[in-house]
This record gives sequence, C-alpha cells and structure tokens, in this order.
Amino acid sequence: MAEGPRRRLALLITLLAGCAVLTVAQLIKVQIVDHRFYAHWAEEQWIRAIRMDQPPRGVIRDRDGCLLAGNGVRYAIEASPAYVIDHHEAAKELASVLHMPASHLEAQLSSRDDNGELRKWIRVSQSVSKEVGEQVADLKIRGVTVKPLWRREYPERHLASHTLGFATSETGYYGVEGFYDAMLQPEPVEWVGPVDVASAPVPWEPIAGEFPRRGVDLELTVDRTVQALVEAELERALQEYQAASGTIIVMEPETFGILAMTSLPSYDPEEYPRFLDEDPVPFEDPAVSKQYEPGSVFKMVTVAAALDAGVVREDSVYHDEGWIEVGGQAIHNSMRKVYGDQSVADILVESLNVGSAWLSTRLGADLFYEYVQGFGFGDVTGVDLAGEVPGQLWLPEDIEHWHPSNLGTNAFGQGIAVTPLQMTVAAATVANDGARLRPHVVRRRIASDGSVSTYQAVFEEQVIDPETAQTVTDILVRVVEEGATEAKVAGYRVAGKTGTAQIPIPGGYHPEDTIANFVGFGPVPDPKVVVLIKLDRPQSSEWASHTAAPTFSRIMVQLFTVLGIPPAGGELAAEVGS
Amino acid sequence: MSGFLEWATHGVKRGRLEFRSRPMVVLTVIVVVLALVAAVYLMLVSRTAAQGRRIEQLQTEIFRLQRENEQLTVEIAEVTSVLQLKERAAALGFATPERLEFLSISE
Repeated sequence: MAEGPRRRLALLITLLAGCAVLTVAQLIKVQIVDHRFYAHWAEEQWIRAIRMDQPPRGVIRDRDGCLLAGNGVRYAIEASPAYVIDHHEAAKELASVLHMPASHLEAQLSSRDDNGELRKWIRVSQSVSKEVGEQVADLKIRGVTVKPLWRREYPERHLASHTLGFATSETGYYGVEGFYDAMLQPEPVEWVGPVDVASAPVPWEPIAGEFPRRGVDLELTVDRTVQALVEAELERALQEYQAASGTIIVMEPETFGILAMTSLPSYDPEEYPRFLDEDPVPFEDPAVSKQYEPGSVFKMVTVAAALDAGVVREDSVYHDEGWIEVGGQAIHNSMRKVYGDQSVADILVESLNVGSAWLSTRLGADLFYEYVQGFGFGDVTGVDLAGEVPGQLWLPEDIEHWHPSNLGTNAFGQGIAVTPLQMTVAAATVANDGARLRPHVVRRRIASDGSVSTYQAVFEEQVIDPETAQTVTDILVRVVEEGATEAKVAGYRVAGKTGTAQIPIPGGYHPEDTIANFVGFGPVPDPKVVVLIKLDRPQSSEWASHTAAPTFSRIMVQLFTVLGIPPAGGELAAEVGS
Repeated sequence: MSGFLEWATHGVKRGRLEFRSRPMVVLTVIVVVLALVAAVYLMLVSRTAAQGRRIEQLQTEIFRLQRENEQLTVEIAEVTSVLQLKERAAALGFATPERLEFLSISE
C-alpha cells in the first residue's frame, strides 16, 4: 500500500481508539467512580417511602362480646387541580353528590398557588360518609381521589362513656382509650420502593416487609346490661333527689373486676368535639379522677382496723358522752347526740363520730394510717383507666398539713379525700375476706394474630384477717337491717354503710350542700357484687339514708335478677313476674 | 486490479477471511448462553412484576374488605344496642318485671 493511505488509516485508527478510550474512561467514571452519586440521584427521583393504608384501631367489647367501640369508615375527598381536565364539569358532578355549591367547588378546583400554577393538591371535603365517598369514586373524575379514613364509633353512644374515653383518628383520650392507646392504635407501616408520578407503588419487585396489623382488641369486665341499668338508676336518682351529679360503681369482689361504672353528667364520645366548650369539659371520669370527703362510709375502715389490730372486740363497750377531744379539737356526734354506753358494732350501726375517733385514738396514728393505706387510700389503685388520682391522705410525717386532730376526724371520713373507686375497693376488700386485689376493667386482650392474653388478678395486700372481715360484714348487715333500712333488699342479706359527707369550701364546710354516698355488697355470706352510690348535692334530703340507700336497694334487686343470684341458701327455680 | 479499483482501495488488497472452527463454536455457545440468560432474566422480571401487581391488588382488596367488615360490625352493634333493644322490646309490648319470686326446691 502507498505511504499516504496507510498513514491516514493509522491516524483514523488512532482517533477512533482515542474516542473509545475516552468513552470507556467516562463509563468507568460514571458507573464505578461516581456510582454512588448517580445511584443516589436516581433513587431520590423514584424511590419513595409510602405509608401503607392504616389498619383499624383495636375494638373494645364488653364481657359478652358486645361492641362498645368500633371503627366506621369515612372518606376524605381530595383533588389535584392540575390534573383535572374540565374544572367546570368536575365541579358540577361533585356538587350533585356532595351537596355543595358548584361555584364553590369550581373555585377550589381552579385554585392556583403563589406561582400562578394550578395547585397540586387540595382537600375538597374533610370527611364524608361511606356512601357519599363511594358515589364520588364512581364518578371517576380524573384528578379527584377519595381517601378512606377510620372514624371511631361508639354504637352504644353515651353508655359507659367515661370508662371508654374517646379517640381521634390518631390518639385515644381518657378511660380505656387513653390508658391502652399504645396497644389499640396500630403501628403505621411504611413501604419504601419505586413509585410512579402519582406516588403509587410500581411493582417491579414484590412489596416486601410487614403487612400493617390492626390494633389489639380489648374485652372489658364491664357488662353492658348491668351498665345500662346502673345508668338508668343513676339518672332516676339524680332526678328524684334533685342531685347535681353522681357516680355509681359495681364491682365483683372475687376479682375486683368492674362490672359497671358510670357518672353523670356524661357525654357522647362519638360527638366529643361538641363538649369541648363546656365548662368543665365532661371527659374526666369522676369515679377515678375526682376526689371527695367520704364521710361516715369511712367508719367501716376504722372499725375494721381496730378489730383486726385487736385493740377492741365487736362487743367492747365505750361510754359515749357526745363528744371527744382529739389533738385539741372537740369532735361531736351528728346532731350532737349523746349515746351513753355503746358497743363497737354500734359505732357503725348508729354511725357514731365520737366512737370512731375513740377507736382511732386507741389504735394510735401509726397503726391507724397503716391500715388506711393498706385499704388503698392515699395512692392510686392501679386501675387500667387514664387519669386516676391518688386522693389526699395526710400522714403524721407531713408536718405542714397533718394535725393531731386529723387522727380523730379522719376516723369518720373528714379531712381525707378519696376517689369513688378507692372507696369501692375498700368495701370490696372487706367482702373479699380482707384481701385487696387490683381493680381492673380489661379482662382479655386479643392481638391481631388471634393470640389471647387473659388478665391475671393482682393480689395487693391481705389488709385484715378473714375473720375480721366476716365480723365487719356482720356488723354492716346490721347497719342495713337496723339503721339504713331503705337499703334492704327483700329476700337477701346485704351489707353496707351510709355516708353523708360535708363539702369542704375555703374556710370550712358548705353550710347546706352535702354528698350522699352508700357503699355495700351482697348477698351475704357470699357477696357477688359491691356497689357504691355517690350523689352530689341532693336537694330532696341531705341524708344518704334517704337518697343513696334506696338507690342501692333498687340497683341490688336488679343486679340479683340480671346476674341470676338467688337469695342465700335458696336455689333459683323460676322467675315469676307479679 | 483495474485502475478504478486501485483508486478506490488505495491499492490495499482485500484480506482473505479465514474461519477457524473451534473459536467460532466457543463464540456461538457464549452468545447463545448469554441470550438464554437474558431471556430467563426478562421472564423472571416480568413475572415478578406481575406478581407484585397482583399482591398490590390483593392488599387493596384486603383493606377494602377490612373497611367493609369494620363498618358492618359497627352497624350490627348499633341495631343491637341496649337502647335499640329497649325501644324494640317496648314497641312489642314487653315491660320490665316489677317483682321476681325465687322458688326454693325442697329435697
């Protein structure tokens, strides 16, 4: 070959080889040297973390499986104005389903951002019913989407509202909803992977990872039938005795499981926003969050402590002069009556303040408060409800608050503040042979995989001996049969104690208003239920024996019927209506 | 070589293409194997994508059925609530018994 062409060919080969080397070098730079940078850049554009559809919150059922709190479906209507083709037509179609002005919808669908561009996302409607949401979806309007939402619903409406609490789409508040929120609320699950322009997953690879699991379902100790009858009776009592508010608790003494618990005024948890403006808002459960001076019902604690400590016997006699001085303060009986020689049992039967103070001074401060704390006062009971308060119990070591006279006044329930639940627990302890358990509301938890956790009773303390508990029970039966006779239940032996408590105000006690309460249990000798009645500021009578006691009787009659509890010693053969 | 051909090829003679059978067989096998691997890979990717789409659809269906179930559960609870039962019982003429008698069975 001639020299010229050979040289040109060599030059061409050299140029091509150079280009090839440059290309390969660039490829090596992009694919190997800068691999991470470009890979990250690409991922940023099409890999997204998407929160998967939220599974439902765990439901709450009563002890028989009846639904108390469930999940309804609502829809949020959203739109991407930039993707809507005909804004006028879309607004017209939406208006016919949403019953909103078409002009308003068209303005929304045509809205622009600060740069003058059609918005990428707007919310047309916060929450519409399932039917309306499905109608909107059926319209198949491009750029308009329906997003399903969970809405907490309470099919029994007001029933057990304080015990249940309420829940927003994110969080539970008060009651069981608040206490078990972390368990009820499902864990959000995020999926990370390639998405399209609408942020929908592109299934280039199977969606791996955990599928969202629903929250844990709860089964309560509450019986909705008992709850309903108790609520009806509380409503009746408030009307009949013209009381401002009230609380009733029904508890099983064998397990300390709460069968029913109600307070009025209450609220509809499904409509909780309507009550936000009320003063005070009715969300707190007065049974565990409000404290009061219990008055004479507390004498059962004092008598039980004195008998258990052995400082007196049931038939021990003291001379009642109508007053006693404790810590420099004179303590009188109600109506300043003088009773003369009285037995320890009479202290409960006649509800003697002087006798109670005499017992607490016989016990001494250390022993008396040891028993009071043993019964669970001055500390939270540990019930599985949100917002429980410990009450108020000053001990001798609280030198700023405690005065020696407290030993006398505390003995008959003054100068001490308790919650209705604490008082119920104390009575249940007597009914349960002196053993205090932890009160509870949830008896079973059912996880999304079907596994069941059953509540195991928590033993707190053997406060008094079973024999002492039996003695106190017998005295409390006498209280009902000889003193608070309006609490009697035909055919049954029931035990209980009334308490007409004064309401503390700055500088003393309210001159007229009182709190009427009664706590009792039955049937004796094998109690199945403990019931506490608390009526605030009843106007028809200031005495609990005329208000709380008859309410107790009416409730017990119905409870024995509903729970199928025959009279002691008898056997249920037939039920006959008169 | 004619004058034109010499002008066009600059006098470079066309080389004789020689085939050696062994390297060609190896090359052919490599090409075929690579093609097979590519085909299998494409098939797997497409099947995976199809399965991914199917799973996504099933998940959507699960969520839809879950919503349906929850809604129905609430609706059933509403129509069997204590309040509803009371109203229906009253409408049917039932009343709360005022008194009960327990009859003891003597042995």
